Amino acid sequence: MIKEIRIHFRKCGQVKYISHLDLMRTMTRAVRRAGIPVWYTEGFNKHPYLTFAAPLSLGVEGLSESMDIKLIQDIDMEDIVSGLNSVLPSGLEVYSAGTPVMKAGDIDKAVYRLTFPVKPKDFAAFLEQDSITVEKRTKKGGQRLIELKPFIEQGAISQKDDGSTVMEVTLPCSSTQTINPLLIVSACKNYFADKGQQHIFCDVLRLDLLDGQGNSFK
Amino acid sequence: MGYGLEDLFRLVQKPGRYTGGELNSIIKKKEEIEVRFAFCFPDLYEVGMSHLGMKLLYGLLNERQDIWCERAFMPDTDMEILMRENNIKLFSLESRDEINTFDFIGFTLQYELSYTAVLNMLELSGLPLNAADRQDTHPLVIGGGPCVCNPEPVADFFDLFALGEGEEVTLEIIDLYRRHKSKGYNKAAFLVEAAQIEGVYVPSLYRPSYNPDGTIESMTPLNGAPPKVRKRIIKDLDTSYYPDKFVVPFIDIVHDRAMSEIFRGCIRGCRFCQAGFIYRPVREKSPETINSQSRALCESTGYEEFSLSSLSTGDYSQIERLLPMLLDWAEKQQTNISLPSLRIDGFSEELVEKLNVLRRSGLTFAPEAGTQRLRDAINKNISQEEILETTRKAFSSGWTGVKLYFMMGLPTETMEDVAGIAALGQKIVDCYYANPDKPKGKGVNVSLSVSCFVPKPFTPFQWEPQDTAEILEQKQKHLRNSITTRKITLHSHDPSTSFLEGVFARGDRRLCRVIQEAFDRGCKRDAWSEHFNLNTWLDVMADLEIEPAFYANRRREYDEILPWDHLDYGITKSFLINENRNAHQSITTPHCRIDCSGCGAAVWKGGVCIDKRD
Ligand code: SF4
Repeated sequence: MIKEIRIHFRKCGQVKYISHLDLMRTMTRAVRRAGIPVWYTEGFNKHPYLTFAAPLSLGVEGLSESMDIKLIQDIDMEDIVSGLNSVLPSGLEVYSAGTPVMKAGDIDKAVYRLTFPVKPKDFAAFLEQDSITVEKRTKKGGQRLIELKPFIEQGAISQKDDGSTVMEVTLPCSSTQTINPLLIVSACKNYFADKGQQHIFCDVLRLDLLDGQGNSFK
Repeated sequence: MGYGLEDLFRLVQKPGRYTGGELNSIIKKKEEIEVRFAFCFPDLYEVGMSHLGMKLLYGLLNERQDIWCERAFMPDTDMEILMRENNIKLFSLESRDEINTFDFIGFTLQYELSYTAVLNMLELSGLPLNAADRQDTHPLVIGGGPCVCNPEPVADFFDLFALGEGEEVTLEIIDLYRRHKSKGYNKAAFLVEAAQIEGVYVPSLYRPSYNPDGTIESMTPLNGAPPKVRKRIIKDLDTSYYPDKFVVPFIDIVHDRAMSEIFRGCIRGCRFCQAGFIYRPVREKSPETINSQSRALCESTGYEEFSLSSLSTGDYSQIERLLPMLLDWAEKQQTNISLPSLRIDGFSEELVEKLNVLRRSGLTFAPEAGTQRLRDAINKNISQEEILETTRKAFSSGWTGVKLYFMMGLPTETMEDVAGIAALGQKIVDCYYANPDKPKGKGVNVSLSVSCFVPKPFTPFQWEPQDTAEILEQKQKHLRNSITTRKITLHSHDPSTSFLEGVFARGDRRLCRVIQEAFDRGCKRDAWSEHFNLNTWLDVMADLEIEPAFYANRRREYDEILPWDHLDYGITKSFLINENRNAHQSITTPHCRIDCSGCGAAVWKGGVCIDKRD
């Protein structure tokens, strides 16, 4: 038998500093340590089959990350969750395992929470600019100017106790269009750097992945 | 306002090098700890984390409840600049505490060109570089590793060195330290007593004097320090500690796999090879021990690959019994076994097939020298016929590439020997085309990798002059001209790094000033070719009136007092002299399993020295 299973996990804290490739290696070893009976790819360099939906950029945390594995033997979903959690390094935490409902291609949007160490008043000034652009490196090695304003206009702004600004925003995340939240971070950095504020470090957390109808990716 | 450490992680290229938190890394409660030990590797995380010795000592020290051993590495340039700008001191990966608050800072000295990195790490810790300037409140700086067999060029920077294998002696040093701490610690008194522990070399307790010609006149021990410090070895590897867990890095490192040490030492006695002498005698682990240790490691790490580690894995006497034991579970768990530097000649074809030996590492040989005469002189026991026979077999099963490793500048080498490297390559090319069933339409590629020989202490070549860069360049040119086919690719190494390595390898204490001055002038990553700058070093030596050729290119007399003569690695001088004479007459010496040649390592009454020979 081969049975596809979707595992949902959180990637928070210091593990945000590991890249997608690092995460794949870490998960591969965790699956092996936990002794989960998974299907291995054929060929010379055999390794457990693992695939991830919409990989996170380095430095970004995530609350609803997912990876798919293929079981070759029936085991309890609970055992997958507890088995992995007992061998994962801190910061990676599995919270569910089950049969996939959607296809990875159904993912259309991603919801992010961005925290900026500036006052909401100053942040509003940043948002109120006529145009918010940032340079994006293209695959061919060139640079392209991206207009972010339409994507972040409807972001929900709130203030944290420490005075910093939180914005929750839904960004395109599909095979045809993806907006990386780090682009907003760098636009914001550039804006405040021009105003003489050099120490803008933003936290980025992905809350959820959504399909075209706005349902959470399952 | 400056940046904090967390901010730096967001600014540097590979934060995963500095964040810690890897699986199996060890966090303890500070309140419960008596002795904090920072294990420092003077190179990047990716290099240091690949090193078996570090994993061993990390596990061993952390077994003890009263000790917390943490790790620190050399930051890359981007991180270092930010740390200096923001006054962030070198920190350990586990607690992120500044290592200058620890009890011990231990460096492993794996290669001479890492010496300035040691100074850099001390400076990044905010500590005085010279041991004499560090007070009772500062950590003790201790060195280990192969370069410690002649640590004189860095003697001023270390409080003590541990000679040989560190497992037992490190704990003895720590226990002595605890006793001193409980009755009021005084560094000087501690060091005097530590010097009495076998294997501990306290450089400040030895005073050198020099002859008018610059050679050493004497090395006087002070305060009752022993006239000779003998290295330590672990006699029985089956009962000694081996970690059942490795820290599993998040980021990709140089050797990212589990490693099982299968024996220490080497039976061969290749005359150029320091490791072949300083780790004597050969002591093997039993196949049962290796099997259970390998399995435990793979299970605790999840690694999909493990390697058998030793100086020459094919010389493991029970390899035919070990491999099936390992394959039995490794195959079931989809775990690959990798066998570095293996002589496959003695293997059954079935085993070679199962292990994928060839597909993994490719077909490689290390003849080291181009002619049989020179191979005899260096006691490298591999013949042209063996190489051709193995390549012939590999070619007929479809292989099209071979890699050969050589050294240039070996003692007694002539231009004829140099041309012999090209000739051997040509013979392999010819061998390929002589094969009737070679793959159609495919050419052969013979790759020759040629490094520059550096004479090292405790080898039969410790008295030999190293070839100058000019001679090496001539030889390299001669070799290039001797190659007449495009089927051969040649990789030659830069003689200038070997030259500096040669100066340090057989250097004395007067080089401490040179290293410190070069560091002050910006040399701190000499082991990384893009940062290496020989001219700075030459300027420094000229300014300090130190003649590098005195160390690298001079022939020493057998009766000269060498800077490492007060250190005892078991190998006797008379044996080395004998071996040196044999080299000059191209007389080979049999390896330890054929016959004991009385090198001196039998003083430990262990391993191959007491094994029965048939
Ligand atoms: S004493 Fe003899 S057997 Fe022992 S290491 Fe030396 S040469 Fe080999």
